[in-house]
Amino acid sequence: MSKLFKLVSLLLALCMLSGIPVCFAESDEVIDANLTCTITLGNWPADTAPDAEKALFEGYKATMAKQYPNVTLVPDYYSYTLSNYVPMAKGGTAPSIFQPPFTDPQLLISQHLVGDVTDALEQFGVLDQFSPSYVEMLADENGRIFGLPRDGYVLGMHINLALFREAGLMTEDGLPKYPKTLQELAEYGQIIREKTGKAGLVFPASETYGGWLFTNIAWNFGCVGESALEYQDEDGRWVCNFTSPECIAAMEYMRDLRWKYDILNADATTTDWAGAHSLLGTGEAAMNFAADDSVDQPTANKGLPVEDFALIPFPAGPAGRYALAGGTCYMFAPDISKDQAVALMAYLKIIGKLPFLDDAIVAGMRADYAAKRDRGAPVIPAISAWNDEAYNAAKQAIVDEFCNVDMRLYADFFDSISEGTITLKSEEPVFAQQLYRELTAAVQRMITREGADVVKALKKAEESFQEYLDDEINDI
Amino acid sequence: MSKPEALLRSHAKIKGNIQSWLIMLPGLLLMTSFVWEPLFESIRMSLYKTRNVELVKFIGFSNFISVTGKDDFLQALANTFSYTFWSLLIGFALPVILAMLIGETTRGKSLFRTAVYLPNMLPGLAVIILWSAFFSGEKSGVLNILLSRLGVSAQSYLTRADWVIPIIILIATWKGAGATALIYMAGMASISPELYEAAAIDGATVWHRIIHILLPAIRKLAGTLLILQIISVFQIMYEPMVLTKGGPDNASLSLMQLMWQYAFGGSMNYGKASAVAVIVTLILLVMTAIYSYFNRKESDWD
Repeated sequence: MSKLFKLVSLLLALCMLSGIPVCFAESDEVIDANLTCTITLGNWPADTAPDAEKALFEGYKATMAKQYPNVTLVPDYYSYTLSNYVPMAKGGTAPSIFQPPFTDPQLLISQHLVGDVTDALEQFGVLDQFSPSYVEMLADENGRIFGLPRDGYVLGMHINLALFREAGLMTEDGLPKYPKTLQELAEYGQIIREKTGKAGLVFPASETYGGWLFTNIAWNFGCVGESALEYQDEDGRWVCNFTSPECIAAMEYMRDLRWKYDILNADATTTDWAGAHSLLGTGEAAMNFAADDSVDQPTANKGLPVEDFALIPFPAGPAGRYALAGGTCYMFAPDISKDQAVALMAYLKIIGKLPFLDDAIVAGMRADYAAKRDRGAPVIPAISAWNDEAYNAAKQAIVDEFCNVDMRLYADFFDSISEGTITLKSEEPVFAQQLYRELTAAVQRMITREGADVVKALKKAEESFQEYLDDEINDI
Repeated sequence: MSKPEALLRSHAKIKGNIQSWLIMLPGLLLMTSFVWEPLFESIRMSLYKTRNVELVKFIGFSNFISVTGKDDFLQALANTFSYTFWSLLIGFALPVILAMLIGETTRGKSLFRTAVYLPNMLPGLAVIILWSAFFSGEKSGVLNILLSRLGVSAQSYLTRADWVIPIIILIATWKGAGATALIYMAGMASISPELYEAAAIDGATVWHRIIHILLPAIRKLAGTLLILQIISVFQIMYEPMVLTKGGPDNASLSLMQLMWQYAFGGSMNYGKASAVAVIVTLILLVMTAIYSYFNRKESDWD
């Protein structure tokens, strides 16, 4: 467990630590009675959410009312997607705060669709507390901050231990003999297919998911540095590079997973993120590329008992061992006022998303973990996006109290991060979603046509994405 | 007629029609706000470089050139025509046949009418999810379970580029054929029974009645429904979007889905999305014009 403590401080290998006081304040104290505004809060729990979750958020609301009596909170069930957000932002109806994934902030910032909270953060003294990498994702070129990290994740693999047991892939200690390399992944998947008749690996290859997962595989085949999937040349022009020998080898590997090893789920091209979790949770597939922040999906949401679930590191490739690090952030409506920005920071502080601790925040965290445990989701350490050691250690102590799993089933995943045996890497720098879309089409071709030409498919994707880059960023 | 007199008359005419104008006003306002203005705005947007919904710079036909020069547009265009072809092959005659069969039924007609219309009452997304379970390529897929009883090994239906469009059309037909059949039934009900009686006296068979009475009577209706079907299928979007996400490898990508991708699929390029929308509109206008031309010519011959 001590390694887990190391994890939070070494997390993402991104952190520059600077001290921040862990303050314990009375939660009922009035902090600012003069702050007067209304804020709408996206992602408020729906009426159908578990009672514990609803009670938790009502508690946050009550605390806010005590500390900032003249701030009105308007709950909003809004859940962000790029397509639904744009018209709301332009029409002035976007909630004051919402939660996009880390793929979108730069796009939203460049399109002037989000609000600036730099001054409010400075007022709360946390401007320097989150990692420079996160700042890079959430700021514009002038260093103005438009978002805050909610949580981070690292991509690894979810595994269904029931299928591993059935395939005889367990040690005497009750731990899975899991694949450490991509080659082993193919071989173990084959054993699982032969012994259980189920898919060794569920690979969601619809929309942009296939390309998203493929980029991590490609990194492990060497698509980094000079062979990166996209890079900026000496003239500052963004160049797409899908036809490097490394990328071709990675795509050939994808083709082999389907046609040589036959370990993929049958409907990979129509499977999305939720569908992949469903297949693993219901025992239709043994392995799924997924992160630590979604361990509740196959378990609590799809019924897989926590004792049949494990989280392992992303398998290494012939040229390296990388894992995608990403997450979800908080962003703000483009038209928020200065007072609203301050009120929103106050709200984030109350719900424990700023690196402060007081009795109410600790109570909130405990309630959150208790709710997770009660609904059958694994309670494991969350990857913190803040650099404060004391804050992270205090959080870890709460996790330990509610932990409901055999941490040996997660240890290698967290150790690989804390010990640096896996290199964390953020998403491709520009227009990642479009890049994923182009690569998804190539992946789909590989896994649906036995004799598909790898180079031709990648060339087509490369030309299409290059044209996109030229249109959007190279200004050609 | 002197000028003041003409003015007075025109004034009286307007005054006389003011009630009609008032009745039309809500409709006109709604059409202007929700149909014409967005339509013209879309055309305008297609000629601009955009930053989300803001117009940044006039670029003429650059969006059209860029969009039409890409492989995915050509594939989406071909797919959309393929949807139309399969829809006519699978879905055009079926409602007529259903209507004829139900029309010939002497007992339980209402039951059959309700039964064929029932799928149309189901929400579209629910229908897609229902059929995705049927066509699932896993061993737990309904069709695979049925085929396994016959000794056929599990197949993956929705990942095969050559099968996806016919499957999507099959699903759309299952949902929509009943409603069209009801329209045909209404058309068939208007055929004078005397014609059938006369035919029966002359010894006409069922086949003769269909060929010489029924089909000529519904020909114009069928023509109208044909063009409506083409227009509707040309705008197919949510079925492939939910069932196959346009895959595999864009094999089921439709033009409307491509438009959605430009607007909301990660690039927020509303200018190019509008260009695709304008192209679809133009194609449909041409098709409608061709239909109208032949329809008018046919009316002239009549």
